[in-house]
Amino acid sequence: MDYTWQFNVVWRNFDVLLQGAWLTFQLGVFAFAGGTLVGLIGAAIKTYGPLPARLLVDVYVVFITNTPALIQIYFLYFGLPEVGVRWSSEACVLIGLTLNAGAYLTLILRAGFLSVRTTEMEAGETLGMSRLQQIRYIVVPHIAKSIYPALANFFIVVLVMGTSVGALIGVDELTGTAINLSTVNYRWLEYFTVTAGLYVVLTLVASVGLALLGRWAFRVKARIV
Amino acid sequence: MPHLAVSGVHANYGALEVLHGISFDVDRGGIVSLVGPSGSGKSTVLRTLVGLTRATRGTVEIDGDVIDYRSARAIRAARDRMAIVFQQYNLFQNMTVLRNCTLAPVKIKRRPRSEVEAEARDLLALVGLADKADAYPDELSGGQQQRVAIARALALRPDILLLDEVTSALDPELVGEVLDTIRRLSDEGMTMLLVSHEMGFVREVSNAVVFMDAGRVVETGSPAQIFDAPRSDRARDFFGKVLRH
Repeated sequence: MDYTWQFNVVWRNFDVLLQGAWLTFQLGVFAFAGGTLVGLIGAAIKTYGPLPARLLVDVYVVFITNTPALIQIYFLYFGLPEVGVRWSSEACVLIGLTLNAGAYLTLILRAGFLSVRTTEMEAGETLGMSRLQQIRYIVVPHIAKSIYPALANFFIVVLVMGTSVGALIGVDELTGTAINLSTVNYRWLEYFTVTAGLYVVLTLVASVGLALLGRWAFRVKARIV
Repeated sequence: MPHLAVSGVHANYGALEVLHGISFDVDRGGIVSLVGPSGSGKSTVLRTLVGLTRATRGTVEIDGDVIDYRSARAIRAARDRMAIVFQQYNLFQNMTVLRNCTLAPVKIKRRPRSEVEAEARDLLALVGLADKADAYPDELSGGQQQRVAIARALALRPDILLLDEVTSALDPELVGEVLDTIRRLSDEGMTMLLVSHEMGFVREVSNAVVFMDAGRVVETGSPAQIFDAPRSDRARDFFGKVLRH
């Protein structure tokens, strides 16, 4: 193999890559936060809601989890303008990822709802809590603690795999930025080596952040890495 | 007028009727104990009183006010006046002892936090756990957790305290500390209804004992009468077995 690695051009544009990484991070955090909210509502309805509402959530979950995220985002970006709804590419990625994550998180969080001890819920009920108060004060902290690892893993999935789909509709997140820069001077190998490294760093930063958040907020004894 | 009057209460689990017309009274400041074999419906009586199990027939009155169990608001109002302590403590595992006690009064009853916290610390002192306010439930022994559960119930300032086999899940050496707490409450004039298998204790603290079997009240009387001279064969048989040990 007589390939000559030339990283100079990459370092010259490193700040552009970092901007891409920052956008990736923001998209990941917001999509995950939004998805968690959607998932929480979905799981609550699945567990306590009336039958028609439960069926509606089932339809949502089945459709989203059985179609590629790319198709969902294409639907928003290329499909909706046909009926007059035009969102920016960033908005489409964010909304698409939120709805996508929301469906998976409905399933993940449902496990948390089902594993709350009924006795704790009854104690809450006899102390005068409404169903919403029981969810807020008993279920959510329980979920945060008991299925924290599953949630943290899924955040990484959204952060790394989810956001990179944005590159295909022109969002300048990390993957999109790397593609753009590479096409200028054909240093694909160098750019993607550094980009891969940046993804790992991003993931590590996110993991440490999540573990610290978990310890501080929910007494989760999570490993840092 | 009795503080708590239960008359002709029926209750179902699904299609199965488990209470077939339960009646008894508890006087203000009095202690009534429900005793009887497992599965006789003692705990279901307490669950029905606080609306966790739905009464299908009969009436429950507190100070002469009939509780309408078909109305969620009436059930909430009843829960303001009756607090229940469970066999398995059912503390909120994700909160400190103090927050377990203050959550409902502050977030649900909307009382000022400083006042509630001061009162909760007094209650924890009453149950002998003043130094555990900042501990989490999983850092406490069963007896300590049960005493926290009692403090949490008292923090709601109930008129009537329902205690459901509060010592059954405890090691024998931890039973004493919980019974001491109940004795102290009784001295302070709290109206209590207890389900218990601690026959010696029941005999000592109760004003009246209700013997239940198969979802019915078999007989009611003073502790001495029920334990020493039961009228029914079923009670004689039961106490013959449990009191021998």
